[in-house]
Amino acid sequence: MHKPLKKIVIVGGGSAGWLTAGVIAAEHSTDGDSGIEVTLIESADVPTIGVGEGTWPTMRSTLKKMGVSETDFLLECDASFKQGTKFINWQTNTNEYYYHPFTLPRGFNETNLAPFWQPFRDKISFADAVCMQSHLGEHDYAPKQISTAEYDFSANYGYHLDAGKFALFLQKHGVKNLGIKHIVDHVGQVNSAENGDIASITTQQHGDISGDLFIDCTGTSSILLAKHYSVPFVSKKHILFNDSALAVHVPHQSPDSPISSFTCSTAQTAGWVWDIALPSRRGVGYTYSSAHLSDEKAEQTLRNYITPIIGKSAAQVSSIRKIGFNPGHREKFWHKNCVAVGLAAGFIEPLEATALALIELSAKMISEQLPATRQTMDIVAKQFNTKFLHRWDNIIEFLKLHYVLSKRVDSDYWRDNRDETHFPEGLQEQLILWKTQSPYHYDGDEAGKMFPPASFQYILYGMGFITDPARKKRIDLSKKADRLFNENVKHSRQLLAALPTNRELINKIKQYGLPKI
Amino acid sequence: MANNVLLNSIEHQELKVITERSKQYGDNLWYSLTFPTEFRSVQAYYPIFFNKDASTGQFISVALFGFQDQENLFLTGNKWDATYIPLSVARQPFLIGVQKVNEDGEDKEQRVLHIDMDHPRVNQEQGEALFLEFGGNTPYLDSCADMLETMHHGILDSQIFIGLLIEHELLEPFSLDVELNDNSKHQMVGFYIINEEKLTELNSEILTTLHASGYLQAIYMAIASQSNIRGLLNRKNKLLGL
Repeated sequence: MHKPLKKIVIVGGGSAGWLTAGVIAAEHSTDGDSGIEVTLIESADVPTIGVGEGTWPTMRSTLKKMGVSETDFLLECDASFKQGTKFINWQTNTNEYYYHPFTLPRGFNETNLAPFWQPFRDKISFADAVCMQSHLGEHDYAPKQISTAEYDFSANYGYHLDAGKFALFLQKHGVKNLGIKHIVDHVGQVNSAENGDIASITTQQHGDISGDLFIDCTGTSSILLAKHYSVPFVSKKHILFNDSALAVHVPHQSPDSPISSFTCSTAQTAGWVWDIALPSRRGVGYTYSSAHLSDEKAEQTLRNYITPIIGKSAAQVSSIRKIGFNPGHREKFWHKNCVAVGLAAGFIEPLEATALALIELSAKMISEQLPATRQTMDIVAKQFNTKFLHRWDNIIEFLKLHYVLSKRVDSDYWRDNRDETHFPEGLQEQLILWKTQSPYHYDGDEAGKMFPPASFQYILYGMGFITDPARKKRIDLSKKADRLFNENVKHSRQLLAALPTNRELINKIKQYGLPKI
Repeated sequence: MANNVLLNSIEHQELKVITERSKQYGDNLWYSLTFPTEFRSVQAYYPIFFNKDASTGQFISVALFGFQDQENLFLTGNKWDATYIPLSVARQPFLIGVQKVNEDGEDKEQRVLHIDMDHPRVNQEQGEALFLEFGGNTPYLDSCADMLETMHHGILDSQIFIGLLIEHELLEPFSLDVELNDNSKHQMVGFYIINEEKLTELNSEILTTLHASGYLQAIYMAIASQSNIRGLLNRKNKLLGL
């Protein structure tokens, strides 16, 4: 009970396993008697999911804390810079688009610009008015210069990366620099201790591997949390309908083709197509609801999407991978001495690149609050479960918002999405409230939520939602608002004059690397 | 705009180079490139800082002549008030170009002297001749070629030196607060200096490595050169009559 926690066993590689192992090993000493042991065991026969290529800006500090060189990461993982998501055809399917960037609206902490922008909503988009990042997006500009130090920025950014290369890169770094013990073997039996904990796992060639804490990174199979412990799955399919994805890689039209600064999400008849540009190729996929669309029709939609990129004949023969999934998550994530991270914990469509972000948050909490002994583990586990259940609810609500605001009527899918019986609890009330007050940080109640009020503003006002405040304020803030709008125009111009395109910057990084300071 | 051409004694027989130091010949420089093997001479007059090349993000060492763009506090009229002028300035209007040659059936690269024909120093009337009347280089031209060769090796050495500085976290950003005698203030940013604290923490193994390549001496020369900031301030105050 009071024995110090020493052996951490991570079951499963991929992004979840290697990120979690890396975060824990970077924080805790693996030396000597008071150090912990971090072991990662993965099967050579079980492939990773192979998608999951967008990150939040938090990935910068996660990698930095792990002692990873940003230059090495960018070059070895075929990575580029993500500045947010561009949503196309979500509102009326008339080639309209809006941006959800990684930068707060200007002066957001003190001033809510939304009501001041609203009278001009037919003249300028919300993002364009309050932020400089959408302007960068329209020109495929990079968020920094070749002389900017690693992890620093002119505009806040995360990454687009190659999922397979990422896992291998983290593995190499973790084993070489962070003292992670790597075992390649297949897990058979899971052996219980008297108190119901996992005592050890039996492997084919390495015998029984014992541990104090087991981290389940085995993907949707969830062999520890789901299979061994039978923790039930909570499906969210009745709220977010998408349960299938078709994924393909396509080359750029030319080696000098621009690299998009944003993940593109283009709404379709029964879902949406993601389009993530890496330096060497684009990752494209259609995530859709099998209840609303046949696989054949979905495949044709995807092939039509990639036709302008690679030509009709190539588009017809491209190798497409099908992934089926159940949108939702486990009823709890940490049970006894086992905690699930990544797909083993849950999965939802990648509409706001939440999968890698959740892995980072899980790894961070496990590492920062790594239980000192078995006794404290139950307390941390309880807090972990509460926190992450809230986070999943936040994600479901935020993702659903993208659908309920749509005015598309071209299919049952869109109509069904607006049916209130499919709303997560609380969303309908929120929508009523937002009619007269913007999402904003009132009284600090947004601490610990997955998405800040600014993100809700970008979606609401990008999708044409109208907030009509009921009354006037005593102090007229319109002069202050004008000043902020003008500052944004100036800032956008400065950045457009100074920054390179993504393609230019990536090419320079290949030649010179990014400076460390 | 530069117009760099390969120097040859036939086409360029009549060329002369004005060696006077003055603003009209491009000497009103804020700073210029230097390198460790030159630090000993540079540190007698100029503060040595480090700076990033904006187009590559790579660090270079620089000798500082003033506090802002186009301000060279050593330049008065047509005199440069110091007995040593960094080679990156002194060698103007010459530069090294690379020529591919085939020697003994092998493709090699050769460093050859180029001149910027558009440089204001280059003319046919006044200054130093480049070629002798009956062929051959003038001593002046030979000395320029030597400067360029020294600079070439110096820059290669500088890349290794700076690489080591970065590896051992010996560079830190620095902003200079300039306050003149009339209390006017100005901040000079974007430069880097030796992190002396990190320097004192280096273990003996690293110190030995740095010492062996002459880099330890270069580090201390750079630190010592900081005292020249006072001299620059005095020059500026004097220039403004303060």
